[in-house]
Amino acid sequence: MRPMSLLKHPFLLALTMGLLITGCSHAPEEEVALTEPTQPPTPANLKATDHPLDKGEKIDLTWDLTEADVELIDVFEIHKAITQVGDVMIEPSFELLEAVPAKDAFRTGGKRGGKFIVDALNRHLTARELKKLDETLAGSDTPFQVGKMVYDSDGEIWDDHPTSPISYVFKIIAVGRVPQPDGEGEADENAADLLLAATQRIEPLRAESAVTDPITPGIQLFDGRLGSLCVIVLIISLSVIYFIIAARSGKPLKIRKIAGLEAVDEAVGRATEMGRSCLFIPGILDMNDIQTIAAMTVLARVSKTAAEYDAKVEVPNCRSLVMTTARETVQAAFLAAGRPDAYNENLIYYVTDDQFGYVAYLQGMMVRDKPAACFYMGAFFAESLILAETGNSIGAIQVAGTAMPAQLPFFVAACDYTLIGEEFFAASAYLSGEPDQLGSLKGQDVGKVIVAIGLLVGAAVATVATITASPAAWDALNFILDKILA
Amino acid sequence: MKKIDPDKVNVILATDCGSTTTKAILIQKVDGAYRQTHRGEAPSTVEEPFADVTIGVQNSVTEVQELADWRLLDDDGRIIQPATETEGCDLYISTSSAGGGLQMMVAGVIAEMTAASAKRAALGAGAIVMDVIASNDKRRPHEQIQRIRELRPDMILISGGTDGGDTKHVVAIAELIAPAKPQPRFGGAYRMPVIYAGNHDAAPTIENAFDESVDLSIVANLRPVLERENLNPARDAIHDVFLEHVMAHAPGYNRLMEWTDAPIMPTPGAVGNILQTIAEDQGIHAVGVDIGGATTDVFSVFDGTFNRTVSANLGMSYSISNVCAEATLPNILRWVHFDMDERELRNRVKNKMIRPTTIPQSREALIFEQAVAREALRLAYQQHKEFATTLKGVQQQRSVGDTFSQETGGQTIVNNMKLNLLVASGGVLSHAPRMNQTAMLLIDAFQPEGFTTLAKDSIFMMPHLGVTAQVHPKAAMEVFDRDCLIYLGTCVAAKGHGKEGKPCFSYRIEGDTLNESGEIMYGEIKLLPLGLGETAMVTVEPTKMYDMGAGLGKRVKREVKGGTVGLVLDGRGRELRLPEDRATCQRTIKRWIEALDLYPETGSAGA
Repeated sequence: MRPMSLLKHPFLLALTMGLLITGCSHAPEEEVALTEPTQPPTPANLKATDHPLDKGEKIDLTWDLTEADVELIDVFEIHKAITQVGDVMIEPSFELLEAVPAKDAFRTGGKRGGKFIVDALNRHLTARELKKLDETLAGSDTPFQVGKMVYDSDGEIWDDHPTSPISYVFKIIAVGRVPQPDGEGEADENAADLLLAATQRIEPLRAESAVTDPITPGIQLFDGRLGSLCVIVLIISLSVIYFIIAARSGKPLKIRKIAGLEAVDEAVGRATEMGRSCLFIPGILDMNDIQTIAAMTVLARVSKTAAEYDAKVEVPNCRSLVMTTARETVQAAFLAAGRPDAYNENLIYYVTDDQFGYVAYLQGMMVRDKPAACFYMGAFFAESLILAETGNSIGAIQVAGTAMPAQLPFFVAACDYTLIGEEFFAASAYLSGEPDQLGSLKGQDVGKVIVAIGLLVGAAVATVATITASPAAWDALNFILDKILA
Repeated sequence: MKKIDPDKVNVILATDCGSTTTKAILIQKVDGAYRQTHRGEAPSTVEEPFADVTIGVQNSVTEVQELADWRLLDDDGRIIQPATETEGCDLYISTSSAGGGLQMMVAGVIAEMTAASAKRAALGAGAIVMDVIASNDKRRPHEQIQRIRELRPDMILISGGTDGGDTKHVVAIAELIAPAKPQPRFGGAYRMPVIYAGNHDAAPTIENAFDESVDLSIVANLRPVLERENLNPARDAIHDVFLEHVMAHAPGYNRLMEWTDAPIMPTPGAVGNILQTIAEDQGIHAVGVDIGGATTDVFSVFDGTFNRTVSANLGMSYSISNVCAEATLPNILRWVHFDMDERELRNRVKNKMIRPTTIPQSREALIFEQAVAREALRLAYQQHKEFATTLKGVQQQRSVGDTFSQETGGQTIVNNMKLNLLVASGGVLSHAPRMNQTAMLLIDAFQPEGFTTLAKDSIFMMPHLGVTAQVHPKAAMEVFDRDCLIYLGTCVAAKGHGKEGKPCFSYRIEGDTLNESGEIMYGEIKLLPLGLGETAMVTVEPTKMYDMGAGLGKRVKREVKGGTVGLVLDGRGRELRLPEDRATCQRTIKRWIEALDLYPETGSAGA
């Protein structure tokens, strides 16, 4: 490293003097090894272009940058200024947006040079930008819009107006590297600290680029960030179509046995042999809950079996709309079984909307009538264990189905069979055996496999990145987070 | 039944009256142990022109007395009882399957519950179940009535409802049967026997439902609660009705019943009885098979539960076409290691069907017949597994640990890994030219896992011993052990699959005559000599993909029995998978045939 002249640099002279005065007994005998700040090259060819395939919130900045330049530049300061909002022209007033390490800018740009993607341009205006706008619009009553915000002299008002175009200009400033002291061989720690402190006070040299042309980010038809999602959706959709076609053409689709649904015949059979009724409870939520809808599918199957076996199905409800739907479902099932005469709508009735009033009624009824088979299908909360334990104590075969994770352990422990979440929703396809439904079930399974693989890969990459701190692993993790998960 | 003092029984005469032949065996006490000493056989005489079953019995017993030089019949043709120093027997017993055996129709409320229990009761009693009527059999009432009228069963068993449970459905079934007025197979004059073994609350209504045209017996419910079967009262009632009605109307049986010291049993019931006795006595799990011309019977005892199935359309002569239809020709041909003309095979099958007594005249014909037998046995065993299940409609006890392993009721109780003894009987198995062929037929069809002793019924003595076991279990057990079974050897097989040619399990054998160790590769089968009456200690250590009874990759050490075939080490995996490519399959089968030396002249058989 080339030694510097103290006479040319007054601050180094002062530093040297200070060191001599404060610690002459420990003063280094040789000259302090400090270097001059490097002069960074001026960023050339700075261009601002609209980021492709986005919703108008990003701008790409590119400029010339070589690997040799990176050695001389510490960071690039990205400066932004608004030149126009809607029809209002504004005098540009640059402010620092972000300081990007030169290495990062080079890596992002690759062979093309430096690159930086300016994010979240039109979401909000900074206070300074707002002040500038206020000054520009001083004396005017015309409100202006940025995104979904309408600004006026009183403050912000939510509005759904379309985005007003905002034009920006950019410039970047290359900040040169600050010389670092050569600490090796320093015998005195205090002297080293002083050298470091002195170095930190050295102002780096800067080189400013030309200002870009104004650029207005535009909204594209497709959002490129969601490309990976698009691929996944396409794979799942094609899988569904493929399996539907395969099922229609007679190819057997293997679906594992769901014990809870297989057991419907057994439970209704038990009720028939014992001369008792089947109790069906469709949860405690209304028809707008997907679980209640799934419950109706199972009810149709239970009712059809009961009609064939000439058994009795009782359906107490805590929602009037569910009662009406259940009546329709059971009637249709009896008709399908060829026994419309055996349908009795009085067995499907409304009890109360009150959660524990309903449960108290059910519990009393179960203890009195001792149904031989109990079905709990739908959304359940605190009452799940009360019902299942009561059913267990009267010796009934119990089949439960719910997607409430908190209630599943209670049902599993107290019931004979439990449909767990997805199994419950798959009941319709499973029971009907229709090619379209089976195909779509299999297609969705492909989606689940993709998600499962994604989870495993993501977890593995995150673990590796954390443990090894490998840049490649972090890049992979960022890719998953930014590109795939968007 | 007269009272018998077992200690004073020295000579036992037993007969089995079949449709075509009547077989008699003589059991005598030799050196303090019961042994089967002589056997005689004569054509059955149930049909015209004789129309008297006792003539056939006398003829077969005459053969025995001539062979034994021991007088058994007096001048009037009656069995001499009791035995003296020079003549007679202390015990005479008989079974019968003449005239197609006992044919029954059963009915229940739910096909998988009380109707299934009724079927089990009937099959266990040795009957052939012609049809099962149930509320949920998806037939309309008029179709059910039509079916009942078409059948001509020997008796009907009705069940349904638990005690205190359903009455509506079971009464409805009775009200279907009553107006249908089913006609008995024998004797137009006698009333159709109906056994009711259902909900006791419904019994009075059931009585009212039937008129004088049926002979109604009411016994204890065979399913008093859904959690438990109580089949014995129904089975006893079936035996009683069999004797009182069916046998009484068959020609000559009245006289035969007077001669016997114990009730005549249906032949399959007697076979089941001896198997059950053996399994209980030795604490083992056993399977028996009897493959006939028209039907194949499979018996099993697992964890003390006896099950019997009759596969009515799986047999080696009358039903051979059905076997080919059910199994399909490609499945049969996969066991044949050379090319065969399909047209010629079809002709062979039809010829066997119309000429059931013919036996294979060439090696090719034998190989083909044994291939059909493999499939018939496999299908019969599959049906048996589906029938021999845990009870349905039973409340399950669960824990949170069962979240992802919930099993429905009605799972099969047949477990090949637990199987200790596999007994074969029936023409194609008993009369195979080489014992090795019998052993291989059993291994291929039943695919035993772990350690399984293979045996065959030497002279189809099991029916005789089954009825003997009822009155003299000690004699039955001793004869069964010493004379009834011919031990073929032991099959040691690994469950699981791996890559062809990779290690399956290693073995070490320590015995008086056989000391060997080595490794069996996947896809390999090996026969080691271990003679009749010999035993050896075998230690096997499967690789991690395979289970031989103690879990995947766990070592097992057992004592094995030798036999006429020896010790078979089977590394072909379970369930057995044959290559789909025909040429590869033929090569594989040929390798296995050579390993067991099944057809010694295979090399010149054009394979």
